Amino acid sequence: MSKLHGRNAAPGVAVGPVFRVVAPEALPIEDRREGPAADEVSRLEDALARTVSQLNELAERVSGEVGPDEAEIFEAHASFADDPELRANAEDAITEGASAERAIIGAFDEFRDLLVASESEYLSARADDIADVRDRVVALLQGVDVGAPLPVVPSVIVAETLTPSQTAQIPREMILAIITETGSPTSHAAILARALGVPAVVAVEGLTAAVARDAVVAVDGSNGDVWVDPDPDQRERLETRAREAADRRRLLEDLKDVPGATADGKHIELAANIGSTDDLSGAVEFGAEGSGLVRTEFLFIDRQKAPSVEDQVEFYRQVAAAFPGNRVVFRTLDVGADKPLPFIDREPEENPALGVRGIRLSLLRDELFRFQLQALLRVAAMDDVGQVAIMFPLVSLPSELQRAREIVTEVAEHEGISLEGIEIGAMVEVPVAALAANRLARHADFLSIGTNDLVQYLFAADRLVGDVTHLTDPCEPEVLRLIGNVVEAGHRQGAWVGVCGEAASDPAFAMALVGLGVDELSMTSPAIPEIKDALRRVDAQECSDAVDRAMKADDAAAARRVLEDAVRI
Amino acid sequence: MPERTVTLPNPSGLHARPAKVFASAAAAAPGKVTVSKGDREVNAKSVLSVLTLDCHQGDEITIRADGEDAEETLDELTALIESGLGES
Repeated sequence: MSKLHGRNAAPGVAVGPVFRVVAPEALPIEDRREGPAADEVSRLEDALARTVSQLNELAERVSGEVGPDEAEIFEAHASFADDPELRANAEDAITEGASAERAIIGAFDEFRDLLVASESEYLSARADDIADVRDRVVALLQGVDVGAPLPVVPSVIVAETLTPSQTAQIPREMILAIITETGSPTSHAAILARALGVPAVVAVEGLTAAVARDAVVAVDGSNGDVWVDPDPDQRERLETRAREAADRRRLLEDLKDVPGATADGKHIELAANIGSTDDLSGAVEFGAEGSGLVRTEFLFIDRQKAPSVEDQVEFYRQVAAAFPGNRVVFRTLDVGADKPLPFIDREPEENPALGVRGIRLSLLRDELFRFQLQALLRVAAMDDVGQVAIMFPLVSLPSELQRAREIVTEVAEHEGISLEGIEIGAMVEVPVAALAANRLARHADFLSIGTNDLVQYLFAADRLVGDVTHLTDPCEPEVLRLIGNVVEAGHRQGAWVGVCGEAASDPAFAMALVGLGVDELSMTSPAIPEIKDALRRVDAQECSDAVDRAMKADDAAAARRVLEDAVRI
Repeated sequence: MPERTVTLPNPSGLHARPAKVFASAAAAAPGKVTVSKGDREVNAKSVLSVLTLDCHQGDEITIRADGEDAEETLDELTALIESGLGES
């Protein structure tokens, strides 16, 4: 038995025989043709036509087995192989003496290079699609069978890497789990695994070398563990867990469309934290009621110049449209001294965590802020999108919130957009803002507590420094009491109060928050079903009794024990 | 060559699926059809070329067509774009 580890990409546990997907071996490519141009052209025409029909068949099968959205990519692939400009360019190259293989590679790569060079994330991703279609046409030209053998018993699919078309060729009922040596949780294979509800682990170093063709493999998609040839005891334990995981998944799936609520029916909005558009499908899958935190930074980082208002509108619209009928809280750009950007010219600071960042930067240099508000307001005014709310990061004083609101009003007037129905709020992550919650809430439609930063500033301890992590437990009685005060202050002024730190995904802490009266919990989406399930087992009153006791505990560990006992986890 | 300039109303601009809808409609025209954004002009019948224009919602694009049926082709293509290229 050997154990490997990779990145968890889709939850669940599975045990089964291995099916190895191997990329067809690349044959050497002749640069020049031997026969007449006309023969070479017809060889190419034939390969392209077969590619188009193979891909259309694949699209049809995927549409039936998985869903029409997943099939779309193969319809697009088919249209690439059917492109008249591509064909004309390749035929020109053949006339000039190139082989069909070399000609079609050149023609595909010309388009591919243009897409790779584009600034758009979407188009760069399409470059991989072009490569996938190109390789299929070349394989057909060389007589290599891309329709490689398929598993005949349900198997754990193991590969160095999986292209979308390789993944889609495998009948879904034969896929127990997917493991790849390369890739990321956003690769096609991982997305497909989540859509199918099977576990996936990616980026497993040494995978293909460690797994023999006749091996049995066990995989835990929630923590990224992979066991090769587990011994009988281990195997039995994992099989039991696989069955339990499957039962649990069914239960959580049943909960997907049930709104978050306690056993006695108090509604608690369970929303997703969104870090990029890649997170949207997961959030919908896990039944998020909107988003309590859209980190808009993803649009701004890794860029040499700021995104245009139009680019921003496109992305915000995509995010807001994922949650029709629900609230989507966009946090304005949270960068500055701690996260410098090339197009924001600032002197380095000695102590970036305490420097010009978040709303401070937006108020000091408001051009970028106004462009972002313009884009957000335009999306808020659209039909068919969720209810857009705007939230400012790192607010310390009520005057900052007031000034930011004035700018929103100016931009809205300039754009001719009504602010009616657009909620505006502040993050509470600076200790003084938590203490001043009463005054802050007078100017806010909502307050959202960022537990990570709030705890870090309260304890003067960086949660990323291992030796001080014991100082950053949000269950510390004083932290609970402070959060309780913020909730009370918010409600007194008619503002709702949410929590958007990752601590909301800790079931014991989530119960404490419900007990303190928090209205909304926003977290990483895979945690939503667990929290939803935990909530359904307790009454609101039990939560509030438990947190009252926890606030009287001697320390965080004792407070946590009180909460865990109360929520019966 | 007759031409029309239109603003893309559909949310995903000329991404793969709408680009495919547009290019297949253009491919049905008997004559030459081009589409341009800024100073780049490409064959409108080629989905790959249309993709490389990187057109987004709100972008202005110009379509040109030649031949006897040019006006008819332009009418059809502009109507298709204005109807959202299959996106609601």
